[in-house]
Amino acid sequence: MDTRNRIVIQRSYAAALEDVWDLWTTKEGIESWWGPEGFRVEVRKLDLRPAGELHYAMIAEAPEMVAFMEQAKMPVVQDCRLRFSEVIPQRRLSYLHQADFIPGVAPYDVTHVVELEPLADRVLLTLTFDRMHDDIWTQRATQGWEQELGKLAKVLAK
Amino acid sequence: MMAHASVFQTLGDPTRLRILDALREGEHAVGDLVTRMKAEQSGISRHLRILHGAGFVRVRSDGPRRLYALRREPFQELDGWLKAYRSLWEKRLDRFETALAKKTQARRGKAKTDSAE
Repeated sequence: MDTRNRIVIQRSYAAALEDVWDLWTTKEGIESWWGPEGFRVEVRKLDLRPAGELHYAMIAEAPEMVAFMEQAKMPVVQDCRLRFSEVIPQRRLSYLHQADFIPGVAPYDVTHVVELEPLADRVLLTLTFDRMHDDIWTQRATQGWEQELGKLAKVLAK
Repeated sequence: MMAHASVFQTLGDPTRLRILDALREGEHAVGDLVTRMKAEQSGISRHLRILHGAGFVRVRSDGPRRLYALRREPFQELDGWLKAYRSLWEKRLDRFETALAKKTQARRGKAKTDSAE
């Protein structure tokens, strides 16, 4: 098991591989589910290739989200961009995206990797999030952060 | 609240990670760390200053010695980040699943119509 400083989420779907891939990589697909709760997205530009960008608008839609954004003096329509780093059709997609959803925390880049694996009658989806740029990450690639944190928490709890 | 970007930059150095690792056993004086890590005192002191600035360690004086120990907060914050980001994506994947089910249904519906033709 990978215990580095990353999050891994795995799910499997009884669906066609092509459909799963399309939801991640087409305008219609992305617009059908992307974005946080209470928001919808509109894809403005989609350049699906390494170093290409996905540019979309994130629009507060639920009344409580609209109210929240207005109260926080944030625009109801947010401009978002992410940059693809790897595009292997129906197998692997990786991109760099700013994680900025935690109030009070400065935004920073997170590498997102989407891997698809066709099984007998399902598609296995593995999502991996790395919290650092690859170059910084490489320096400490041997460290097991999630594991380290657990150990530290134990020590500190004494 | 401290900025995460700087937390990660602070941790992105092998020597600082080794210092944190050594401090896991408890409080250490700068001299102990230098001996243990077979490093230059100036280097260790510099890294300790950075760790202190980022809130990872606290320091107290014991006569002429400066003793360093770990602080709990940044580790808890990192742990909180993990949980929050995971939960954000779990929710997003629920919506993904709904969208995919619709697409799959449309495909099956189409397959049926096609075969009926």
